[in-house]
Amino acid sequence: MESVFELLRRLSPAALVLRAILVATAVDILLLAFILLRRAYRKRYFARRDAKVFEFRRNWDALLAGRIPFETWRSKPFERRIVEEIVLDAFESALPEESAKLLRFLRASGLIEKRIFEARHHVGWRRQRALVALGRTRAPEGIPALSEGLRDRSLESRLAALRGLERVASPEAGREILNWMIEAGLRVPVVPLQSALIQCCAERPQIVLPYLEHTDTATREIVGRVMGEIATPSLGPKLLRFVDDKLPELRAAVARALAQTEPKLAIDVLTELTQDKVWFVRLRAVVSLGQLCHPLAINPLLNGLCDSNRLVRLRAAEALVEFTRERLMIFERVVASHDKYGLYAYLAALDNADLQKALEAEVRLTYALPEDSRQLLLEVLRAGTLPAEQFAPEPLAAHAGASS
Amino acid sequence: MINHSLQFANHALFFYYLVCNIAYLAMLLIALRATLKHQHRLKSVSFDTIKQSRLAPPVTILTPAHNEEKTICLAVKNLLDLDYPHLELIVINDGSSDATLEKLQEAFALRPIRAVYVQQIVTATVRGIYRSEVDQRLTVVDKKAAGSKADAINAGLNAATSPYICVIDADSVLERDALLRIMVPVLTDPARVVSAGGIVRVLNGAQLEGGRVSKIRLSRKSLDVIQVVEYLRAFLIGREAWARGNMLMIISGAFGVFRTDLVRAVEGYRAKAIGEDFDLVARLHRYLRETQPEYRIEFVPDPVCWTEVPSDLQSLGRQRSRWQKGLADVLWRSRDMLFRPRYGRIGMFALPYLWLFELLSPVIELGGLVTIALAAFTGALSRDLFLDFLIFGYAFATLISIGSVVQEELTYKRYNDWRDVARLISYCFVEHFPYRQMHMFWRLQGMWQYLRGDLEWKPLKRQGFDEVVTSRPVPRT
Repeated sequence: MESVFELLRRLSPAALVLRAILVATAVDILLLAFILLRRAYRKRYFARRDAKVFEFRRNWDALLAGRIPFETWRSKPFERRIVEEIVLDAFESALPEESAKLLRFLRASGLIEKRIFEARHHVGWRRQRALVALGRTRAPEGIPALSEGLRDRSLESRLAALRGLERVASPEAGREILNWMIEAGLRVPVVPLQSALIQCCAERPQIVLPYLEHTDTATREIVGRVMGEIATPSLGPKLLRFVDDKLPELRAAVARALAQTEPKLAIDVLTELTQDKVWFVRLRAVVSLGQLCHPLAINPLLNGLCDSNRLVRLRAAEALVEFTRERLMIFERVVASHDKYGLYAYLAALDNADLQKALEAEVRLTYALPEDSRQLLLEVLRAGTLPAEQFAPEPLAAHAGASS
Repeated sequence: MINHSLQFANHALFFYYLVCNIAYLAMLLIALRATLKHQHRLKSVSFDTIKQSRLAPPVTILTPAHNEEKTICLAVKNLLDLDYPHLELIVINDGSSDATLEKLQEAFALRPIRAVYVQQIVTATVRGIYRSEVDQRLTVVDKKAAGSKADAINAGLNAATSPYICVIDADSVLERDALLRIMVPVLTDPARVVSAGGIVRVLNGAQLEGGRVSKIRLSRKSLDVIQVVEYLRAFLIGREAWARGNMLMIISGAFGVFRTDLVRAVEGYRAKAIGEDFDLVARLHRYLRETQPEYRIEFVPDPVCWTEVPSDLQSLGRQRSRWQKGLADVLWRSRDMLFRPRYGRIGMFALPYLWLFELLSPVIELGGLVTIALAAFTGALSRDLFLDFLIFGYAFATLISIGSVVQEELTYKRYNDWRDVARLISYCFVEHFPYRQMHMFWRLQGMWQYLRGDLEWKPLKRQGFDEVVTSRPVPRT
């Protein structure tokens, strides 16, 4: 009988195709076998893991209280990882009392010590993993190790340390970040840095103030933006000295921060900032005036409506439509300003807030409004443009006892 | 003499494929490393924190819709449900002749508004702008049709108010956290990252519930499965590797994020571009290389956008011809960037690669077939060289395809059923015949059409969500 190999040899070119098919099938089967084995292994691993998680959760209180000796699971990496993961997940939704309990457990079991050791002595991904885990514990004793992580040569590790400190969210962590910024300069991208500082300094914003005065331009810019986000009313007077700062970002930050302070203190300063030569400072001032929503803010906002920058006009218009009691008076003054861009921005903001009909009704029902002014306002409201022959309506305020 | 020339041509062809395959292999290795790095990096990112972050920049989603009455309401609802803190959605009704606008008006209580609309980029006439009373984040721009998706996106771009835009096709399905994930590189380094693209996967065969993918399965059609392999190879290997070297030349039109000011600075999408997505990225590279060399265009492999791919040969052929025309169009327009040190690695490496190994590859492939046939006819073909060449080409190409499937299995593992994985691997072996030759033909056709000036857009046949998948009613809560 003819052997298979002899048959293949006689097939000649067709043998090549046949061999290719055989090799492809063999590779296909081998690869599939590898994938299936891997899947089976992972399935088994996760089943074991789920069973262990279930077991730990069932005895969770005993575990936390230390009634189950730590040694029974701490020496087994598989079990230790599960316990740590459960605790870290629990931190995400824990109330302060429960967090304290979890923290006590981490300390007593030595898990924090282990993570601190790893964060200090490991490198690369292992260090990053330890830094993230340490941050998730929110443990104050982890701050020095996280702070050391900020000085790592790898950007990824520095980011992991920064995000860890952000999770800790305490003023001490904030100080570490600020000091590191002064010492090393900007060695991470700005947004994660700002985000971490906001989280850490929100509780005690005054810790940021000294860094506004004694740092270089780039750092001040970031610290200024952070201050803009976290300022409280009590900081208002201290911030006033930065109104004339040469750095526009800082002036913008002050404008933003003033939205959180007393209106009487803030409005004059914000009015001044609406005249700033840099557009984003004016924008911030207009937004803050809108947030204050105080009648004294109407005049500067009306000026903002005629600003040369489109965004400033839009934000001023959005702020002005929020003044419901003064709506008619504001509309009259917008028309009287003869600024078609301002008028358009205001009407667009009215439309967006779906208040056009309300204003129209107000114009119709206000008895004190002279008839020609009423017609003019209704026409402007309808057409969305100033009439060709422009004339200003007599301001409502001039009519005594104006009411709607 | 003829025999000598033929032998030389065959050796050159062998060398061409050797270089091409080595490049692919290098990309496979780079992509594997980048994917692992990305997965490690994600461990330190908290998506919940980003979701609540005050620092997350607002994003405007631009969704052009042309005759999408069947799916538009579901698509808009899903886009509004995306996880992201500051979102604006602009749907551009691009002169639909069906009831797309009416359906939107009915479902989202649209009312006409006088929004500030500055036509910074010239587009076809905008007939009206509407805002939803149900959800203030939704704006609809109704415009006359101009026959191009680019024109519709430009109209949306004019109305956008956020510092970032995200372009999403109305017939694509996004995973809920896709926008959060695609914004991670932007949030990490907003000064340098100007754009990011996500992965596009094949929707055919998957199950949808309420417009979201509920079960991922492979389609029963061979043509769809081959395209799954192609998409995996293109995204998980190609784009990932190019992005590592900051040489990503294409961000899919189905799902990508761009800095609004930069898109406006390059005058938006080019309305007459055949491949408007590729064209935009090429112009962004040019603009940024000339003005701000410190930038990055990123690819993020985990935010997933599901899209329907052509299921019949005619539509697939049209799509691939169009892609080839788009490639030719962009490369021809960017020819002045070739080998110019001013354009850095784009001019010195990415564009020459695209010319040699993408644009000209069907021509070289056809030339190779002709010379091999001639050599065989004249007896000049060395049997050993031919066999070596065949085995080498087949083995390498299969290796790259298998590499992408294995990478998928080791990292993202979207196909849970082992039978799907088995089919994917099998198709890695069989896609070379006759699909590859058909593909070569479509691409040659595209080049021929481009050279003849035939730039007409021929519609593709799509089945739509409700036919492509087994839909079940959405459970009411």
